[in-house]
Amino acid sequence: MLSVLIWLPILSAIVIGFWPSNPNQAGRIRLVSLTVAGIVLLWNLFILLKFDISNPGMQFQEYVPWNDTLGLSYQLGVDGLSILMLVLNSLLTWIAIYSSSTQTERPRLFYSMILLVSGGVAGAFLAENLLLFFLFYELELIPFYLLISIWGGEKRAYAGIKFLIYTAVSSAFILATFLGMVWLTGATSFAFDAISTQTLSATMQLVLLAGIILGFGIKIPLVPFHTWLPDAYVEASAPIAILLGGVLAKLGTYGLLRFGLGMFPQAWTVVAPTLAIWGAVSAIYGAVIAIAQKDIKRMVAYSSIGHMGYVLLASAASTSLALVGAVSQMFSHGIILAILFHLVGVIEAKVGTRELDKLNGLMSPIRGLPLISALLVLSGMASAGIPGLTGFIAEFIVFQGSFSVFPLPTLLCVASSGLTAVYFVILLNRTCFGKLDNNLAYYPRVLWSEKTPALILAVLIIFLGVQPTWLVRWSEPTTTAMIAAIPPVEKTVNSQVALK
Amino acid sequence: MDFANLAAQLNAGTILPEGIVIITLMGVLIFDLILGRTSARWIGYLAIAGLLSAVVALYFQWDAVNPIAFTGGFNSDDLSIIFRGIIALSAVVTILMSIRYVEQSGTALAEFIAILLTATLGGMFLSGASELVMIFISLETLSISSYLLTGYTKRDPRSNEAALKYLLIGASSTAVFLYGVSLLYGLSGGQTQLSAIADGIVAANLGQSLGVVIALVFVIAGIGFKISAAPFHQWTPDVYEGAPTPVIAFLSVGSKAAGFALAIRLLTTVFPYVAEEWKFVFTALAVLSMVLGNVVALAQTSMKRMLAYSSIAQAGFVMIGLIAGTDAGYASMIFYLLVYLFMNLCGFTCIILFSLRTGTDQIAEYSGLYQKDPLLTLGLSISLLSLGGIPPLAGFFGKIYLFWAGWQAGLYWMVLLGLVTSVVSIYYYIRVVKMMVVKEPQEMSEVVKNYPEIRWNLPGYRPLQVGLVVTLIATSIAGILSNPLFTLANNSVTNTAILQPEKVVSTQVSAIPPEKPEGL
Repeated sequence: MLSVLIWLPILSAIVIGFWPSNPNQAGRIRLVSLTVAGIVLLWNLFILLKFDISNPGMQFQEYVPWNDTLGLSYQLGVDGLSILMLVLNSLLTWIAIYSSSTQTERPRLFYSMILLVSGGVAGAFLAENLLLFFLFYELELIPFYLLISIWGGEKRAYAGIKFLIYTAVSSAFILATFLGMVWLTGATSFAFDAISTQTLSATMQLVLLAGIILGFGIKIPLVPFHTWLPDAYVEASAPIAILLGGVLAKLGTYGLLRFGLGMFPQAWTVVAPTLAIWGAVSAIYGAVIAIAQKDIKRMVAYSSIGHMGYVLLASAASTSLALVGAVSQMFSHGIILAILFHLVGVIEAKVGTRELDKLNGLMSPIRGLPLISALLVLSGMASAGIPGLTGFIAEFIVFQGSFSVFPLPTLLCVASSGLTAVYFVILLNRTCFGKLDNNLAYYPRVLWSEKTPALILAVLIIFLGVQPTWLVRWSEPTTTAMIAAIPPVEKTVNSQVALK
Repeated sequence: MDFANLAAQLNAGTILPEGIVIITLMGVLIFDLILGRTSARWIGYLAIAGLLSAVVALYFQWDAVNPIAFTGGFNSDDLSIIFRGIIALSAVVTILMSIRYVEQSGTALAEFIAILLTATLGGMFLSGASELVMIFISLETLSISSYLLTGYTKRDPRSNEAALKYLLIGASSTAVFLYGVSLLYGLSGGQTQLSAIADGIVAANLGQSLGVVIALVFVIAGIGFKISAAPFHQWTPDVYEGAPTPVIAFLSVGSKAAGFALAIRLLTTVFPYVAEEWKFVFTALAVLSMVLGNVVALAQTSMKRMLAYSSIAQAGFVMIGLIAGTDAGYASMIFYLLVYLFMNLCGFTCIILFSLRTGTDQIAEYSGLYQKDPLLTLGLSISLLSLGGIPPLAGFFGKIYLFWAGWQAGLYWMVLLGLVTSVVSIYYYIRVVKMMVVKEPQEMSEVVKNYPEIRWNLPGYRPLQVGLVVTLIATSIAGILSNPLFTLANNSVTNTAILQPEKVVSTQVSAIPPEKPEGL
């Protein structure tokens, strides 16, 4: 059942890659990939319907023995932590393919790479085996490198290589930690349930957890390791930026929750205060740097760093509520970032610039881009945490859940949420409001096909904002179960401290 | 001694695969003499058929009850079978590549194949040789043929220079090796058989004496030369650049596999009492090779030179398995060499194709190739990415197994270094992919702009295509469907008496199912 999510995109990627070439094929190939992505999305929703919310464990499990020597097995399962991420992945893949209608150069490679990434990311979210996870995790490396450096902006070669190296370093950390986890605990295979880190000494757990945090921290990205992000997000074309920011960043936070918190509950409590401060610093840093940007895509890129800081704060707090908030924040950040990147892409395509100093008056009903600007206002508000939109719900749950544990970092994050509003107001003010330049403002019309993805996402953002149950209900039992694994451990840590 | 007893001791059936290669070799030479150049059309296929039947013969030798032959001179255990298989297969692919290459260079194909088959023969005998003289003779057969092959395109000054360099370094390192071997003969009280030498050394109470250590170091100098481990690597970049490309393909896989086969056999049987010492030396060699190979490869502009440094680095990775010295370690070496066969030969096939069509092998000249030659681009990209260890290609699984075995044996720092240098290696492998795939049509290099129309029906191109497609498919799926290869590698280690000193009895019976390596 779950295998469809992985193999349908990957197999169709291979088929599309070897499609016999003819000159006017871009449209047809896009249609085929769109159909595949649509089927995957529907299948994903079907799984979502069948998903038993009250069950905290893995569901729809699949198991095929693969390689005993390496302890690698094809073992899939979905739980509350991953189900939303899967939906996000297939939704954004569909939207990315839909919104790449202008992609006429080398369509075969383009669409097959997107589908390959989609299958790989689904595999990473579904994997129940460390090595299988790593395999899928590393699978997106080369396709994304090609997607950035073939169809990107001006400095795409630099951005692509930078992305590649950072990600490769991140996977080196992750692989080393995985090997360490399995071998030091004496586990017989890489399967999740075969590994229990409780037997390790506290120092060893800390070392391994540090490997996890560094590895996934590059991907999230956390502040000192984020420098690949602005380049990669800005140089990537709009559909790719949607996938990069919407889906790939979630792999990092998902990995942190699943392998950091899930596998090292004991050590996690030790590093949690540091992580909370780290998250707060990330959030503030992202917001402040975003204020200083003159390029709207760069602004959105830095906003992403800020928002992922909240996820880190929530994971560090690790109360049941905070974790629900973390998962919700991952999902809402995914859709909000997607709509922002899509709108920025449309504006860049129509107006021809992304500079804040040159954009003006796009709200103008006749000669401007009124609907696009309206949606931009909406998504800016959603990103800044205005009630009634999904961003607020997620952030509120995060803050509510974390305040009891880490009051100061939470307050810092609230402050950065305010700063988010500041730079989005700057952005909206400079782009949507004001007057159009009479000499330059002859923009092409926005086609319906270009508005549709943004409209879908906007509806989703509003719907989840007023009906937040649909956002939080999926992950609640799983996160509760994860937290339930911690308290006894916490006591022992406290007693150790007391003994000293 | 009656005849039956002598025949049993000779046990000549064990070298049937080599026998087939010898007959093929004679056949190639004789047909060439009788028919002259007209034989060039099919003589390559004759050699391939001979090598493949040698591989089939090897298959029937698997798990032989009595692998010792020639009164202890040759050991046809599973370990040797797998290495002989690797060497024979690498010769097969090399011949597929060379049919066109050698023809185009205007030299005789049959002579080339005859020398190549001799080198193969030397390598195959080296994999099973378990007696000092036998080792030396097969090593020399391999080396001398390699010198000849390197200088085969004798009108090309670079080929001449490469041959001279290879000859001088090779001959002196063989001399060093020979000196080490003669020390062993003396120290052990006149034993030449590997299994007897260790006992002889212990009997003479020289377990960890200076003499043994010196012999060890001299022997390692010879082995390090064959597997091109830094600092014995200096010949590699120059020879790779100057020699005909099919020869490089053979040297990088066949000759290297023979070197590793020799290393495993010699070090485990002769030097068990100085295991700490040789592991330490090989740790140093591996660290140097991984760092130097990967870092220097970053700065290369010639494709063949880059692959030369890459092959130094890959030798460093393989040495992790040797240093681990566990069952899983040896098995991971074998598995890696198996997949290395596919990916390296796939890469070299693409390079040969490109240089046949354009006459150059500078990396910068590859830019924009995807438009003109998609198959070549796909093949070279997949093989280079596999060399870099990108999932789900064969090289990823090979590296994972090496690192896994290394970590199991407690070589944390080696594994971490391997991971870090792997990241470095991705950069230079991807650089070529970038040239071919990412560059825009207007950034196409001159040679690619004038790229000849792709025709596979020219003489000698079809075997190239077959070799490319087969190795490409193997590189792509040997990782995903790796279970048979893993089983093969593991069984060959667990069934080999010299690697299982405590289990000699059970392996002789061979009816006992192979045990899983511990801790897996």
